[in-house]
Amino acid sequence: MDARQGGAATRVSSRSASRSASRSASKRASKSGITTRAKTLRYAALFALFASAVVPLALLLLWSVSGRWFYPSLLPHSLSVDGWRALAQSGQRLGVALRDSLVLAALDGVAGCAIAFPLGRSIARLRGHARYVAAAAVFAPIAVPPIAFGIGVQYFLLSIGLGSTTLGVLLAHLVPTVGYLALYFMGVFTVLDTGIEEEARTLGATALQVLLSVTIPILRRQIVEAVAIGFLISWSQYALTLTIGGGSVHTLPLEVFAYMRDGQGSFAAAAALLMIVPPVLLLLAAQHASAPLARRAVTHADVVPL
Amino acid sequence: MNSFEQVAHRGQRSRPGAGIYRWETIRGLAAALLVAAPVLLGVAYSVAGAVGLTGVGATGFALDRTRRVLSERVVWDSIAFTLWYSAAATALATAAAIATATMFRRGERADRVAHRLAIAPLPVPYVVAAAVGLLILGQSGFISRALYALGLSASPADMPALVYDSHGVGLILTLAWKEFPFLALVAFSLLATRAAALEEAARTLGANAWQAFVRITLPLLWRGLLPAVTAVFIFVVGSYEASALLGPSNPIAFPVLTLERYDALDLSQRADAYILGLIGMIIALIAIVLHEWTRARAERLRG
Repeated sequence: MDARQGGAATRVSSRSASRSASRSASKRASKSGITTRAKTLRYAALFALFASAVVPLALLLLWSVSGRWFYPSLLPHSLSVDGWRALAQSGQRLGVALRDSLVLAALDGVAGCAIAFPLGRSIARLRGHARYVAAAAVFAPIAVPPIAFGIGVQYFLLSIGLGSTTLGVLLAHLVPTVGYLALYFMGVFTVLDTGIEEEARTLGATALQVLLSVTIPILRRQIVEAVAIGFLISWSQYALTLTIGGGSVHTLPLEVFAYMRDGQGSFAAAAALLMIVPPVLLLLAAQHASAPLARRAVTHADVVPL
Repeated sequence: MNSFEQVAHRGQRSRPGAGIYRWETIRGLAAALLVAAPVLLGVAYSVAGAVGLTGVGATGFALDRTRRVLSERVVWDSIAFTLWYSAAATALATAAAIATATMFRRGERADRVAHRLAIAPLPVPYVVAAAVGLLILGQSGFISRALYALGLSASPADMPALVYDSHGVGLILTLAWKEFPFLALVAFSLLATRAAALEEAARTLGANAWQAFVRITLPLLWRGLLPAVTAVFIFVVGSYEASALLGPSNPIAFPVLTLERYDALDLSQRADAYILGLIGMIIALIAIVLHEWTRARAERLRG
């Protein structure tokens, strides 16, 4: 029996040896062919990535300064800065929308961060099954379809006198923002070492003193990032503003949409380009921030661009 | 029994840690409930509106509206269409993200450039992505003009319909373009942190490059990407802007149908929107459970 096993083992090993020998031979023969093909594929992919990143933005830019631009011309017949001028004039539709968008987004970022900070901290202490339940609950305001949610709460907001008001829209924007940032701070406080806070308490600091002079200074960068994320959530929000605002609150996304519908391309493109500016700045800042805590927080929170 | 053991014994009996832990659990769950409370409010009002207890033109409790809406062909076609274009766009973006991440993983200059280019469109909002999609893929859009310039078409009508078409091709391409950067970002970080060491081990144990890819890299990427993939899928199912600007009117995208009913001139139709909203929320709920499940699995994998 021993002999038979031994024989089988040698048989297997010799077979695999001969297979690997033939494999390496065939590899040597076709290696140059494979590498040139792989290289071509790599360059083709690189070109596709370049096209996907640059062409849409370039076209948007061209469109935003176009005057008349009829089919089938590849370039505009005339140039015009009407779209951009409309953004700069505060009395005009786009100027008002720009101002309202900025105010709403800034308030949303600051308020959302202030609310989500303590909530995320409490949730981060959870262990076991309770943690998964809490994570699912916190994910709900992010995942719920904005149109469905907006329709659901609009009647409630109307009944307390906040329907079709800027404050009502702000409250609505805060819902996904708080969900998102609670998830973010949950990630932050999961990896934050609380030993240093306990040490400060042992040395006689009050809870408020610890918060103001230990926790917040340590997490300054994360707090700034959270405010920025909150800003972006409100900034790119369309459906909630539409359903809650009921046509009396106009933000930039609503204007982009309306101009697209009306076929006023250059106005839509100018507003669309302006909409990309704050997110791009945030992305660049995030790429430069190399704090390991910030990175882990981002991966923990499953930060999804909205 | 010496004093140390006594202290230990007493500690075990009264277990002061357990009380603190229970308090923390209650506080943590209360915090989570507070975050989710507005959604519960929305659900409650939608249910009340759906059965005629609240909302414009509420007529008292009745289930016949629910019965009528659920038996409408348009509604089910709309749900099927939305699940189709969301799944197709997500699948396309996921495949592209996996291909890009595996193709550009060697840390050379070309790889770093590829990373930057792949992630660059990340901050584009949905409404801007939709505008770009219309601008490029539309009947008289940029591709159509390029085909004319190349002599391949003579009028906008020759351009194959990608926008407003019943298969949602233009919508799928636009949404996939919007989703791709985020999924690529996750895929890059997965390969950078986990795959290299495991693959190296597999190669040392005698696996060839293809085996290492299929047995190690692909499963790792797939499992690690799943939470991000489900999250992205949820967003796409619920997003309104792109499907309203690029989608067909028959079949109509589900979020568009929901809002259309809500804004209907015929007031008796408006409460239909509550029922449609609830269906949307149920779909989201299933996806949330799926998301938490995949995330728990991925966390275990991360160790």
